[in-house]
Amino acid sequence: MPLKHDSAEKHVTGEAVYIDDIAVQEGLLVGRVVYSPHARARILSCDLEAAKKIAGVHAVLAAKDIPGHNQMGPVVKDEPCLAEVEVTFIGQAVVLIAAETEEQCRQAEKLIRISYEPLEPILDIESAIAKDTLLGPQRTMNRGDATEAMKSAPHVIRGELCTGAQEHWYLETQSCLCVPGEASEMMVYSSTQHPSETQALVAEVLDLRRNDVVVEVRRIGGGFGGKETEGNHTACWAALLAHATGRPVKIRLFRADDMIMTGKRHRYLIRYEAGFDNDGKLEAVKLEFNSDGGAATDLSFAIMERTMLHADNAYYVPNMSIVARVLKTNLPSNGAFRGFGGPQAIAAMETIIDRIARILRKDSADVRFMNFYGIDSRNVTHYGQTVENNPLFMLYERIMQSSDYVKRREAAAAFNVSHEFVKRGIAMTPVKFGISFTTTFLNQAGALVAVYLDGTVLVNHGGIEMGQGLNTKMQSIAALEFGIHPSAVKVNATNTSKVPNTSATAASAGADLNGMAVRNAAIAIKERVAEGVAQLFSEQYPGVPSVKQHIVFVDGRISDAQHPDRTIAFADAMVQMNLRRISLSASGFYSTPNIGWDKIKGWGKPFHYYAFGMAVTEVEVDLLTGHHVIIRTDILHDVGDSLNEPIDLGQIEGGYVQGLGWCTTEEIRWDAKGNLMTHSPDTYKIPGVRDIPMDFRVQLLKEVPNPETIRNSKAVGEPPFMLALSAWLAIKDAVSAVRNHEVEPDFAIPATNELIVMSVEKLRNLCDA
Amino acid sequence: MRYTAVDSCLVFLPMVHGKQIITVENLMDADGSLHPVQQALVDTYGSQCGFCTPGIVMTLFALYKSGHTPTRTEIDDALVGNLCRCTGYRPIVDAGLALAVHTDRKDKFSRTEEETIVLLRQIKHESIRYESCNQLYHRPATLHEALVLRRNSLDALVVSGGTDVALRVTKKHELLPEILDLSAIPELKEVVSSSESIVLGAGLSLNDVRPAVRISFAALAEMLDVFGSKQIRNLGTLGGNLGSASPIGDSLPVLMAYGAIVRVMNCDGTRDIPITEFITGYRTTACRPDELITSVILPRPSASVIVRSFKISKRQDLDISTVSAGFAVQLDKKNCVETCILAFGGMAAQTKRAVSVEKFLAGKNWTRDVVEQAASIVKNDFSPITDARAGADFRLIAARNLILKFWISTQQG
Repeated sequence: MPLKHDSAEKHVTGEAVYIDDIAVQEGLLVGRVVYSPHARARILSCDLEAAKKIAGVHAVLAAKDIPGHNQMGPVVKDEPCLAEVEVTFIGQAVVLIAAETEEQCRQAEKLIRISYEPLEPILDIESAIAKDTLLGPQRTMNRGDATEAMKSAPHVIRGELCTGAQEHWYLETQSCLCVPGEASEMMVYSSTQHPSETQALVAEVLDLRRNDVVVEVRRIGGGFGGKETEGNHTACWAALLAHATGRPVKIRLFRADDMIMTGKRHRYLIRYEAGFDNDGKLEAVKLEFNSDGGAATDLSFAIMERTMLHADNAYYVPNMSIVARVLKTNLPSNGAFRGFGGPQAIAAMETIIDRIARILRKDSADVRFMNFYGIDSRNVTHYGQTVENNPLFMLYERIMQSSDYVKRREAAAAFNVSHEFVKRGIAMTPVKFGISFTTTFLNQAGALVAVYLDGTVLVNHGGIEMGQGLNTKMQSIAALEFGIHPSAVKVNATNTSKVPNTSATAASAGADLNGMAVRNAAIAIKERVAEGVAQLFSEQYPGVPSVKQHIVFVDGRISDAQHPDRTIAFADAMVQMNLRRISLSASGFYSTPNIGWDKIKGWGKPFHYYAFGMAVTEVEVDLLTGHHVIIRTDILHDVGDSLNEPIDLGQIEGGYVQGLGWCTTEEIRWDAKGNLMTHSPDTYKIPGVRDIPMDFRVQLLKEVPNPETIRNSKAVGEPPFMLALSAWLAIKDAVSAVRNHEVEPDFAIPATNELIVMSVEKLRNLCDA
Repeated sequence: MRYTAVDSCLVFLPMVHGKQIITVENLMDADGSLHPVQQALVDTYGSQCGFCTPGIVMTLFALYKSGHTPTRTEIDDALVGNLCRCTGYRPIVDAGLALAVHTDRKDKFSRTEEETIVLLRQIKHESIRYESCNQLYHRPATLHEALVLRRNSLDALVVSGGTDVALRVTKKHELLPEILDLSAIPELKEVVSSSESIVLGAGLSLNDVRPAVRISFAALAEMLDVFGSKQIRNLGTLGGNLGSASPIGDSLPVLMAYGAIVRVMNCDGTRDIPITEFITGYRTTACRPDELITSVILPRPSASVIVRSFKISKRQDLDISTVSAGFAVQLDKKNCVETCILAFGGMAAQTKRAVSVEKFLAGKNWTRDVVEQAASIVKNDFSPITDARAGADFRLIAARNLILKFWISTQQG
């Protein structure tokens, strides 16, 4: 029986504690952030005096009041904590207020006088390209000679693809509670995916040493990458106010403020050129990726790197040439979001395949199949990593059969012949997703495991529970290691004083890295306990002594496998070990083996392994309204030996549905001045219960263990997101039926009903011409 | 005993007077065992990050207390108002389906229901007036009291369900100095059905309107099916939707198509105003400062009239229309248009009829060619705007398409 989510009972009873639920004894102040109303402007003056006089207001701070560094960039130091001389996007923090009530904060805010000199902003990728506002150097990646190969290719296509921004819409908005301790200590309760970085940045803005700052995270109400770096901002603001007032300060962003102030998934403008033979086999692909980095660097280059490394998706491209640029615009700095640049790259490659099929009048699934990475040949990526243990053909065979793809495609075609205003479309898309941080040193994790004398175990690890079931997986890993019932294992809140210097819980690697660290800690304890118990048995049973190599931890007991009568209950053994002065706690550490690559050359092995999946989605589109329904989705996904099947299914379904949002209804609009127009749930539409497939069939690929990972499992957080591209291309397939698949429809992400209707309109006007 | 799920952020405190409030913290039994809906969500892995879970628990709880086994459609209908960013909803729907095993619907509330009813009955149904240093809140218990209050406090903001006004407090952080709350007036919640018409009390919740109009005014019922969410419809009222006169006003175009009449009342008497005259501009109506909307009269259409409603929105549920429409057409024996009403929301500063299209169609043969020609001139009737929801171009094409879609629907019986 797989374990239930370790917080499930607390979730359903409302007992689960999030930042806003933490009880503060007394003196709590509310923090508020005053942000820039201009996309780009010089700050001429800033008068805070009147605001400071409001009753109940305890601090009003500007950049000059920051005791340490006014800097929060995670990689490049280009992101001030509070704007000082200029503002570079609407929503950029300029002033902080702490007051006894929210209302007093708002009153004070109205009295703050900041005078700005507005400057011309850059608000879209095209303008940024025209003005060449790069956030950093352009990067390239090449294999073979794409230019030459393109010349000799029988067919060449060129095109552009725009992919939209996406708001994380974690249910818990950015939140932090800071409680000053004695002397300069600061306790930080933050909704962050990266507590060690939050700790570092709080120390830097306050000019403290890191051993004075503790960050603790019980759980976060959703992250999806949106709290990998953005959580730091709220934490630093709350810390500054707590430091200035000497009182606990909580900041919980209102939804609209959160949406206005924080970064999103990068918009991309992608230009592609692909050469292929008469069968549809790729001979050369050239890609130009332009991403909207926003006003600061954040993780944009790591994200672009993953884009470059996923431009192939699941296909062998003998000649590949990639140019990648991150552009600076006057919008909030964009950052991590589930998929981390992968979705945009894969959308581009799948668009190419889809177009090839339309041009050659072939089934796109056949074109995909013929271009898959091979098992023994055609199996090296454009950056030199061999695709090992490739399950693509197995996945293909099984999903094509289980989804009844061929028959349903025929049925959809027949339906389209008899329906003028409603069309059906179907598409199969694969995903191959590299698992590991591409910045190699980040692939490390730590854990601290304690066993108590009643036989219970407390696990600390460096990962963050954000709903993905990480703690549940850690609980079962520890229980299996110690051979005890999972109910005897508790996973603690993540705390930087227990497990230091951790990497973010990101890159889908949370369970891979922390699971191994927990296991290693447990093994260290078991080593000592085995030795102690062997001694104990040897004393109790004179004659043949027990040896530690034969001591086993099974069913809540510790026993000598060679002498089954020599056995002791786990808890009793712990008491005995304590009497023998044997340490019952240990830290564990793990670093991913055998990875590394040359970033400059773009060659090597950035990934420990790949996760794979495939989806078949069928949709019905109302051409007059642009509304679509997903008739059926089949997913077959590879998670190795699952650590917890229902939890992994939840990641796959949830990832797919979040991907659906990106591909269909989640549209972000800014006005001509850079104001976010879609800053609330009434204008920004994440999928609801009736947007999911009417028939949703998700299966795990069984009996394909993943070597060299925790319990032969595979990461699952991000890869399924990209399977939603099957829905996107199914919609395109339906639209394309308007002209009997003879014309390439205008298409982009998201395919909103507006885009669909306009695309159909264009196709219809062609018909009439 | 009736249990309804509502969005707490849309409820002013005085509105809950006389009611039992049940929150997620209440559901567990005294012995610590989970309520069946809680257990179902645990069993199906229906929570991931858990932040949306309390709302989902309460939605399913209300469904559980509805007294019958919910179908998938009813489960979806109930959950439309709950957003979850983690699960993809499938396990949550499964939790809803799993409730079918509890055929007796017993829980800790059913065991004490009789006592609860006794306690609730002890709370007198009476007018309430709350006053603080900067706010005045009236909650009259009779229509007469309400009309007197309306006359004496012309500046008071009239609130019926509160779903629109509450956002001014929770989102815009406004202080509303004086509120006249009509949610406790039984006279405003009546349905009077006759052979000529159906009269819907202005205070009926949109959810209560749905079954009342399902058979005779199906196009209105269908519009209400995709109006907000169940939690919003449990609060929001028809009168409120009319009174706020939103330019989109999901229900307004279809009410126009039915030729609805808005009845308003003051201390001196009543006036009946055709809905097209009632809506006078961007969020303005013909309702005078001393008047209240008391009911909406829907004349029963003759059998030869075909009425349909359409809604185009980015997301089909829990979304404000990009374009909404209510259409009616009456055809004579020669398939010619006798009368037609083509009302749109989202196309102008107020909900409005496509007058030139209607004029074009009058007397013409109701054929695809004619309708397509007619639809193409809809651009003469409107100059929509580009906003957060969609572009002006799309709105015009969508409006045109909806007219064609209407014609298609008339060909399918």
